Amino acid sequence: MSRLLAVLALALVMALGLQGTAVAVPDDSENEDTGLPLLRQSATAARAQPYSGTMFTTSGAVLAVRNAPGTGMTIDSRAADPGAPAGGMLAPSDGMLRALGANYRVVESGGGSVCGRAARLVEALRHDGKVAARYWIDSASGIPLRREVLDGQGRIVRGEAFVEVTIATSRPLAHVSSGGRLSSEAVAALRSRGWTFPAILPGGLELANAAESGGYLKLGYSDGVSVVSVFVQRGNLDEERLAGWRSQRRDGHTIWIRDSAGLEMIWASGGHVYTVFADAPADVAAAAVLGLPHEADPGFWDRFARGADRVLSWVNPFA
Amino acid sequence: MSHLGERLSALVDGELRHAERERALAHLAFCAECRREVEATRALKSRLRSLDGPSMPADLTMSLLRMGEPGDPVPPRERPFPTFGGVPLPGPRSIAPPDNRPRGFLGGSAGPGRSRRRPAYVAVGVVSAAVALGSLFVVAGQDPGPSVAPPVEVFKQVHKTTVPYSNPPSATP
Repeated sequence: MSRLLAVLALALVMALGLQGTAVAVPDDSENEDTGLPLLRQSATAARAQPYSGTMFTTSGAVLAVRNAPGTGMTIDSRAADPGAPAGGMLAPSDGMLRALGANYRVVESGGGSVCGRAARLVEALRHDGKVAARYWIDSASGIPLRREVLDGQGRIVRGEAFVEVTIATSRPLAHVSSGGRLSSEAVAALRSRGWTFPAILPGGLELANAAESGGYLKLGYSDGVSVVSVFVQRGNLDEERLAGWRSQRRDGHTIWIRDSAGLEMIWASGGHVYTVFADAPADVAAAAVLGLPHEADPGFWDRFARGADRVLSWVNPFA
Repeated sequence: MSHLGERLSALVDGELRHAERERALAHLAFCAECRREVEATRALKSRLRSLDGPSMPADLTMSLLRMGEPGDPVPPRERPFPTFGGVPLPGPRSIAPPDNRPRGFLGGSAGPGRSRRRPAYVAVGVVSAAVALGSLFVVAGQDPGPSVAPPVEVFKQVHKTTVPYSNPPSATP
């Protein structure tokens, strides 16, 4: 009888324990990605747990971060999603985590301490074994406390870290879906309206979202760590209004670049104007930009022939 | 009796009046010397009529052709007229219409006037060709699309606040 009571008690304890931690979506083949369930749990915690603190970013900003369940996150009194670049991508969406698992090997690799709190370390490794990103996750609450993105040479190119944090009580979490994969119907609808864009960019950056708004097309690409946004407009670039941008000649045409914490580029190609922002290492961003359309400026004879064709079309009565 | 004298050639040319002609003919009937002279004159006249017209000398023909060559008109001759109050009177050359004769008609060597005008003609040709090419380039540069300036700050804000994979749930499983 006593053994029966002990088994029942053990089963009850296990059930309660699983209720508190089993928030992962078990649809991945995560044989080697030992850190992916932990990241998924952390993303849920970053949205569901109440916490506040001061965050420092590698771009030099010091931000006051506050998250309240049901209300959302505010950064310096401005609303932000914790999964957006403005929110430090503390709570990656499901699609982001899926891409992370597809492009990197995500492993739990020890522990550490952030703001005096015990943390578990998760690393995203490239195919060559080099670290692409590191995440420090609060051991008690699961809230991400620090994130670093590294380039191919192991240099930190972007990072966000709490330098002071206050976390309220931990409580059981329920997984909340936060965005899904871009549907093929949405992609086909945009292409039927004359937009042309690649479904994947070099470096494993897949199309994460695409939407047409206000006369332009917004494309978002991600590999789970980096985010590249591409804005496409129909027309010719008015270069005279690009104050503060510097031009560079690449592969026969002009690219306009603005110096900032991330990559910012503008160029024209094939009757469209492309504007790119990237939160990514320079090598990843450069490869992504090369995967987008780049038609060289028309040469002397091309322009001469085009003008002659146009004049002939004006005088040709059969045209 | 006096001979016909100067009236003999007039008789041969038929220029005598009727009465004078009758008297001359009556004299010829009895004067063998005047009769021989009249016949000799008639024979000479007949021979002169049978001769061809005079041909134009070759050097005169070439001189006239050279006057028609392209180039400046024939230099003005020395004016035989005096000036009018110190101002020379307009001559036929100064009021003549512009010379629009075709150039290079005879393919002769260029005169000094042509050599001065040739650079001007070349310059006009080059400028015309440049204008034509420039027009084609301007026409080619008129791309059909509108001229746009990206709203960079708006785009940047959208980039920073958009969550990757923030797509509505798909209807497909």
